[in-house]
Amino acid sequence: MAEYSRLASGQVTSTGGQTVVVVPFIPNYIAIENVTRLVAGAGVTSASWTTDMGQGASVLSTFGTGAQYIAPVGQTSSGALTSGTGFTTIQAGLSLQYGPTTFLGGSGGIAKTSSTVLTVTTTAAHGLVPGNWVIFQNLYQTASTGMQQIAGIPFEVLTSASTTTFTIGWVGNSSNLTAITAGGLNTLASFKQILYPALYVPGVAYPWSISTSGIVTTVTTTAPHNFQVGQEIAFRIPSANGSIELNSLPDVLIPGSPKYYYVASVPTRDSFTINNLPAYTAFTVNIPFANFVGLEFAQVVAVGDVNTGGYPYTGSALYPSPAIYNGFSTSLTNTINGPAIQGAYINGTFQGFIIGAGISGTAADVIMWRAYLHDINT
Amino acid sequence: MPANGGTTCRFMRPRALQPPTIQLGNSGIDPAAQVPQRDIIDAQMAFFGTGCVINEQVILQDQEGVLAWVSERLAVAMRQAEDLILRDYIVSAATDLMAGGGSNGDNPTNLGVSDFSLVAATLDTNNAYKFMSGIEGMDRFGTGPVRSAYFMLSSTELQADFDGLTGSGFLNQWNYPTNASALPSEYGNVFNIRILTSSEAPVARAASANGQDVYYNTVLGKQAITHINQDGFSMNLIYRDPYYSGMLAQNATLAVKFAQAQAITQDTAIRNVLSTRLSTLGV
Repeated sequence: MAEYSRLASGQVTSTGGQTVVVVPFIPNYIAIENVTRLVAGAGVTSASWTTDMGQGASVLSTFGTGAQYIAPVGQTSSGALTSGTGFTTIQAGLSLQYGPTTFLGGSGGIAKTSSTVLTVTTTAAHGLVPGNWVIFQNLYQTASTGMQQIAGIPFEVLTSASTTTFTIGWVGNSSNLTAITAGGLNTLASFKQILYPALYVPGVAYPWSISTSGIVTTVTTTAPHNFQVGQEIAFRIPSANGSIELNSLPDVLIPGSPKYYYVASVPTRDSFTINNLPAYTAFTVNIPFANFVGLEFAQVVAVGDVNTGGYPYTGSALYPSPAIYNGFSTSLTNTINGPAIQGAYINGTFQGFIIGAGISGTAADVIMWRAYLHDINT
Repeated sequence: MPANGGTTCRFMRPRALQPPTIQLGNSGIDPAAQVPQRDIIDAQMAFFGTGCVINEQVILQDQEGVLAWVSERLAVAMRQAEDLILRDYIVSAATDLMAGGGSNGDNPTNLGVSDFSLVAATLDTNNAYKFMSGIEGMDRFGTGPVRSAYFMLSSTELQADFDGLTGSGFLNQWNYPTNASALPSEYGNVFNIRILTSSEAPVARAASANGQDVYYNTVLGKQAITHINQDGFSMNLIYRDPYYSGMLAQNATLAVKFAQAQAITQDTAIRNVLSTRLSTLGV
């Protein structure tokens, strides 16, 4: 090894789409071998990339086929391969970065699937995997109907049954939502992927359901909240959403003293429970379409914690670093920090590369990777 | 944060006790004791750094003193990083308040004067401390008194919108009775808000309900947030002579390294007022 090169290797489990690999440098050469595809004798078994190919490119080998080439976006790839679906390097260091705007298109829409789900359909492939975050714009069906009430809220992709559909969590059967369907203004409706939604955690989360059974109140949020058991949280609920009694202020008993609550359990990445909340007015997100201008969103924010210990040892790394849902998959991902108290404000920035949808195989595939930064590239 | 103090900085904030507003009466029995409680806020220290490798031939032959100007650029990059880290942390952790007082029919709307009133009233109700006391009116043409105020950190792209509020609440800092207390980046004030602008203020491009740019205008009281340095590690400028680089000692390195953490110490004293823009942007 020469003086300034960087070498790294490891393995990663494929999401079936864009799969992120965290390394402490930006590589200029990447190679992968998909062990699962090699054993199965089908699919992309290996791929490689050098920086001069351009972002999104890759040389790949599909089982039983020779070497092929995925070009960067806008250039010509081998056969029917989709340009831009190879390797991409990333620097997840600044917030508020988004992917390109994806219009739902002529046959796209958003269906009111159930009391817990909205289903988004796109005309072209959306390129998302469960765990990605998106925000919507221009959700008009007509000039005065549609789903503008949810535009601007970050949502996690819960499931992706096909390349042109995905689901998000919301009260999908709300009477004030009008389904976005073909015809009308649906072609203007669009979304963008939030590229790095969890660079600093814990932060603000957006609840769409607050319900109580016995002493246990379950709060369900539109995207992973990254709260820990013992997290101290505060509600910010506009009067239109009902449950203003939960807000941290005003406090009738001790004027000026904010009311906080503690997370008792985290059943899923998008929900948490609190015990013994005071009585509150029913929570609703059923807001009339006409009220979307200047609409406040219900929020829950982390304000502290009551923990003393770090993240538990799970059989591999000693002194584990905080693990978060970082917007790339539905699994917890270890950050690159040292150990920290659970619930502390932590930095989730990272860098590395993405194994694109054209070379990442199918979900749960085991991929071996190597990444280099060479001393010289001419 | 002191050296050898672990990875996580801990703040303790006492909670208020219930004021004893019920009379003791004449029973002779003491009321039940209250349990003193504190809120605990933890923040983990993170380390950052960047640097340059400079061939000795450049140091030897460059006529401009390359080590000097590269040091300056590294220092600027480091200070910029400190600001950007704090900025993005606030974007992620502070409560959002959507502007609704503007006229552009979006969510959020552009900033209207009522949005300034609303956020100031919210922070006042939450007992936030203002940063600045007011400026008394003086007998000078074109000036007006300035209220005691919170600071709002906004994008320079909104300056045209602020100018558009002149006459309905906005006062440019050159129209203060005296601008002795105005900061270099201060653009003006609206009611109880003094506005600082920066080209690096956070903007979410094309992210509003109608697909317009969304600006994060952070309004904060004194007790809202803290920036934490590691003792003896707030900034290290590291120069390594070419002597250390290999058998022929060809390459010097120049780098900066720092540690930083941040925490919202009083969540009720800070709001991100999200807004869109009414004016068009120049190029």
